[in-house]
Amino acid sequence: MTDDERLAAFEARIARGEKIEPGDWMPPEYRRQLIRMISQHAHSEIVGMLPEGGWITMAPSLRRKLVLVAKVQDEGGHGQYLYHAAETLGITREEMIEALHSGKAKYSSIFNYPARSWADIGVIGWFVDGAAILNQTMLARSSYGPYARAMVRISAEESFHNKQGIEIVLALVQGRPAQRAMAQDAVNRWWWPTLMMFGPHDSESPNTPALVRWGIKTRSNDELRQEFVNQTVPQAEAMRLTLPDPDLRFDESTGNWRFGEIDWGEFWRVVGGDGPCNRERLQARRAAHEDGLWVRQAMAAYAARA
Amino acid sequence: MRLELRSLLADALLGLADDEMILAHRDSEWTGHAPILEEDIAFANIALDEMGHAGIWYRLVAELRGEDPDSYPDRLVFHRAPDEFRCIRMVELPKGDWAFTIVRQFLFDSAEVVRLQALQQSHHAPLAKAAAKIAVEERYHDRHLHAWVRRLGLGTEESHRRMQTALDQLWPDTVQLFEPPSHESELTAAGLFPAAEPMAAEWAEGAAATLADADLKIQRGTPGMNGGREKHTDHLELLLAEMQSVARLEPQASW
Amino acid sequence: MSDTQWPRFEVFVQERPGRPHLHAGSVHAPDPEMALLNARDVFVRRPECASLWVAPSATVRGGTAEELPQLLAAARTEPGTSSIEYLVFAKVEERGTLTHVGEVHAAGPETALAAAQAAAGATRPLLALWVIPAERVERTLPEEAPSMFDPSRHKPFRDQAFYHIQTALRRLRRDPSAIGHRQSVESKR
Repeated sequence: MTDDERLAAFEARIARGEKIEPGDWMPPEYRRQLIRMISQHAHSEIVGMLPEGGWITMAPSLRRKLVLVAKVQDEGGHGQYLYHAAETLGITREEMIEALHSGKAKYSSIFNYPARSWADIGVIGWFVDGAAILNQTMLARSSYGPYARAMVRISAEESFHNKQGIEIVLALVQGRPAQRAMAQDAVNRWWWPTLMMFGPHDSESPNTPALVRWGIKTRSNDELRQEFVNQTVPQAEAMRLTLPDPDLRFDESTGNWRFGEIDWGEFWRVVGGDGPCNRERLQARRAAHEDGLWVRQAMAAYAARA
Repeated sequence: MRLELRSLLADALLGLADDEMILAHRDSEWTGHAPILEEDIAFANIALDEMGHAGIWYRLVAELRGEDPDSYPDRLVFHRAPDEFRCIRMVELPKGDWAFTIVRQFLFDSAEVVRLQALQQSHHAPLAKAAAKIAVEERYHDRHLHAWVRRLGLGTEESHRRMQTALDQLWPDTVQLFEPPSHESELTAAGLFPAAEPMAAEWAEGAAATLADADLKIQRGTPGMNGGREKHTDHLELLLAEMQSVARLEPQASW
Repeated sequence: MSDTQWPRFEVFVQERPGRPHLHAGSVHAPDPEMALLNARDVFVRRPECASLWVAPSATVRGGTAEELPQLLAAARTEPGTSSIEYLVFAKVEERGTLTHVGEVHAAGPETALAAAQAAAGATRPLLALWVIPAERVERTLPEEAPSMFDPSRHKPFRDQAFYHIQTALRRLRRDPSAIGHRQSVESKR
């Protein structure tokens, strides 16, 4: 079979809804895109443990504390499932970690923002996990078997992340004035970064065409972003929280909430490594890795002698 | 149960609850910073279990004291001053390196296994039932920690050194693990709470065996800090300042 | 000494007694005992699980329908070698995963694959096939099940049904005066 014939057969498999499994022939570009996408997704989960993990020690009730530990633990677990999926494509976890720590690999820029107050924990669950769920639901239909299966598992677990966040915000808006103000302040800071999570307009996204062609990306960035806005605005209204967008208005003809233009300058700055916490996040991950070196080596040494 | 006995039992259980809560807090500090991803996830589980156990003990205390079991635990955890806590000093210490955390967890959990076994015989039915439920989870901790203690004790020169240092630091304070509670004789006479001495002996034998298997030596004779559960290290105040900081922003509020 | 993330072990989960073990993913671990413990913490945070198996990824032989013909072509009988048991896992549905379907006895992995293909692939096409030497599979024992798997049932807060958000938001829409009053929104225990 020539490469052209192989490619045609591969694309026919995807068109038939077949899952590509580890070991199947795949175009080098498919493998490359998936490794990039999956490892980036994994890194996002791991780095995502940091802004929320920092508030575990200050969670203001037993219930909140338990739930937050469970949530951050889940994020670690999701990173684990995703590293596994990437490993099936031939990259090792050592390589992926090295790429993250050296700054070569990207991760979702939303985690480069600081969690400044307890209310941020609620809003992160509400906004960021609300957004993630939409993305994950799409990816669960991915043509690559291990990625799809990881996403199915993740999607089942993610729903509580969103709900525990809303539960926190509900308690704050029905509480004292200082609590309500804390919630509003967090909303003001997290709204636009969350909209940026969905990525640039598809016309400006270099990776999109290949991902669409090969059954990885089945919905556009803008489509997902619009769905997120539509689902979140009514929730904010019910809680009497203002979203920081003077241009937000309901369009009767489409049923969509129209919203203002995103500051793409900020987006590209943060993606490029110049966000408020980029350095801090990587430093924390590097420190954990370095501090753990003697542990990994000791366990390996014991196993080698057994 | 006589009112006085209820009060004594509640006090004893408050100590166990505070132990679990403060230790769980220290354990949770590793989330996102553990030596490898799988252990980050595993240790978070241990923290969750311990926090759950704290909740169970706090609820028993609430019931014995005639308080609302839904709100009393949070009042105890987030609104008591440091000198009102009744945890042992070992759990207050900062998490240290991974060896320190593993050794502390091992010493504490292995003691808990012995205590839970005995508590299942308590004549206070809710306590016996709670102990049985918690014991199932502790059996897993036991297995997990045994595996780690052995591997790190024997692994490399560095891991052995760190483990020995941790044990040397922690062993003197283990005397608090089985210090008899206030009016122990009344509690044991009523079959409510097990006698400390036999448990201490059982625990010491088991712990020594595990440590010896891991080539770790117990340095006996170094005294720990003096005082009972009402005496704390300076670390507790700092820990609570952080742990209670958000709750205390609006003390009467719901979070 | 080099720094690694430890070797990989494939993980198989049996959700309920009587159901087959399913491939769930993998864990990194220094040895089989740690692999079993890690698998429990990574894959059994939520019910259900009755049994867990792990096997070093390096001991797995097999591949997808595309790869099998080439792998089977390498099958040969080793004269005088005793046969050992291999566990067989097959994927038969697009949206499924590798599922434990039984055992074969063979002198080597390629022969095991051939025997597995013949047995498991007799009535339907196999999308993927794995064989693993049974002696390399670490399993949880039945008496360990309570401490290994019951604790996941004691953590209902990991389930989205624990949070009654829709009810709370509906209540607020009907009566926004609740905003500004101290009111508990916790779900009843």
